[in-house]
Amino acid sequence: MFSVEGTIIALVITSLLSLGSVPILVWMERRVAAFIQDRLGPNRSNIFGFRIGGIVQSFADMLKLIVKEEFYPKHIKFKFYYMLAPAIVFGASYLTFAVIPFSNTLLTDKGLSVVQLLPIELGVLWFIALAGLSVYGIILAGWSSHNKYGLLGSLRATSQIISYEVSMGLAIVSMLLTYGTIYLNGMVDFQGELLWGFLPAWGIIMQPIAGIIFIITAFAETNRAPFDVAEGESEIVAGYHTEYSAMKFALFFMGEYVAMAASSALIVTMFFGGYHLPWLDSPTLYDNPKIVLSVIGVVLIPLIVGMIYWMRRSNKISGVNEPQRARETKILTILLAIILIGSELGILALLNAEMTNQIASYIATAVQILTFVIKVFMMNFVFIWVRWTLPRFRYDQIQTLGWNILLPLAIANVIITAIVIVVF
Amino acid sequence: MGIKIVKRHGDTLMEKLYLPAIAAGMATTFKHFSKNISNPTQIPTTQYPHQQPSDITDRYRGQHRLTKRADDTIACVACFMCATACPANCIFIEATEREDGVDEKMPKKFNIDLLECIYCGYCVEACPCDAIRMDSGIFSLIGKNREDFVITKEKLLATPGAFGKENSRAR
Repeated sequence: MFSVEGTIIALVITSLLSLGSVPILVWMERRVAAFIQDRLGPNRSNIFGFRIGGIVQSFADMLKLIVKEEFYPKHIKFKFYYMLAPAIVFGASYLTFAVIPFSNTLLTDKGLSVVQLLPIELGVLWFIALAGLSVYGIILAGWSSHNKYGLLGSLRATSQIISYEVSMGLAIVSMLLTYGTIYLNGMVDFQGELLWGFLPAWGIIMQPIAGIIFIITAFAETNRAPFDVAEGESEIVAGYHTEYSAMKFALFFMGEYVAMAASSALIVTMFFGGYHLPWLDSPTLYDNPKIVLSVIGVVLIPLIVGMIYWMRRSNKISGVNEPQRARETKILTILLAIILIGSELGILALLNAEMTNQIASYIATAVQILTFVIKVFMMNFVFIWVRWTLPRFRYDQIQTLGWNILLPLAIANVIITAIVIVVF
Repeated sequence: MGIKIVKRHGDTLMEKLYLPAIAAGMATTFKHFSKNISNPTQIPTTQYPHQQPSDITDRYRGQHRLTKRADDTIACVACFMCATACPANCIFIEATEREDGVDEKMPKKFNIDLLECIYCGYCVEACPCDAIRMDSGIFSLIGKNREDFVITKEKLLATPGAFGKENSRAR
């Protein structure tokens, strides 16, 4: 029996994690970069004095890009392809999310429901197909913008993807051998178990080399630093999106972050246990909803109190009296306190209520979705962290790394994995 | 003096593995990140409108001012040296006869168009009377139209110096 609740939840989470997280990721990127470089980053734009750590800046930027003039360079011959390119990049990145499972099956009053947008058997193949497709958008953009910088950028992107997709595919092959399935739900179920009784059987623990290869190639697939030669602004202006402006540029820009979030989601799903908390598999969660709830209730108190304390300490300028920030701090403190008290009361009410199977299932689903979202954001942080640590690779170094190091390593890994599986 | 052989890096296995070096670099950046996120108030960024810059010294070329002599009269003798030296042609002087007996000549009008000015300080160096200086410490100009940025003799005389040494030291 199939019911639609899980699909709706998956649709909401997909939209939040891809579209909704773009402003958050842009904000994260800029603030993390600033903190890594001992700067402050954007913290000024506000709505009625509310700056919420500067996140308003992302919305202001987005608004600016939306109301900007739609400009088409005159020399462009094939306007259709020129317009199609950003749509392909964005659409392909967005659709990648469709196969990610966000939690275990949900038990509703109509039956079981899969929390996944497209519960298809293709699984990881869908990701490979669409990740490859998003490069077509970049190639098309460079070609149709009829600009040598654009063309160079798209050629660089093409050759980079060709070199790295092979290693990525081989890393995935060794994971498929390990899990014995291409269905992502099956992979996550596998990772809920324990290895030798004490280690969580996460992909990164069972296949560290495949994990590292996959993470490196995922960086290359998303065109993120240190593999962002396709838009190397010191050499080829802006690469493939040189001729793009306004919302067409914004689609490329958003596509990059959506692709980053999608890669993070897939890395988490394949290598970091998906929606599983370590040492806490789905049946345990279903069986002990009250214990889980009380643990959440206890953890929430230091978390929010610590957040209030941190905000009161940091949302000011040392030695300067600033009434706007003081007011914001006061209102946000009250708001956080209300959230804390409200959620504690809700948890207490749930603890006293009759625990049916359905409520237990919903609680387990909520916990797993939360775990997944936190893991994805941690992986996103790693993407940003790497970008602001490593300089861009030189073009020949990229090819050397791809063909001479990662490819033999990936092939050796597949062979060794296969031998181990056949022998034992 | 012999040939100094510089040791090449990147030959050992540890360096060829890349990953240990990358991990070390990421540890460094994370150290900065965690230090700054745990206490953002200690980041040295000057939050400008709330915090004014503290590093403006007496050598900073701010808005111009006209100095006075010890007897509180204008030090400028309208010799046009500053206007001649000015590469931006932003100083407009109109001379007149001086009748208070202190000197022979003084400016009737002394206008500086601050939108034209490039703050090179040549006028200060050209002045034989130490009459024009850029030591007011004023670095931000606000105006609603172009005329607001043309400052007159009266305004120039009324601008105080920010670093002491108020009067002209020419005589």
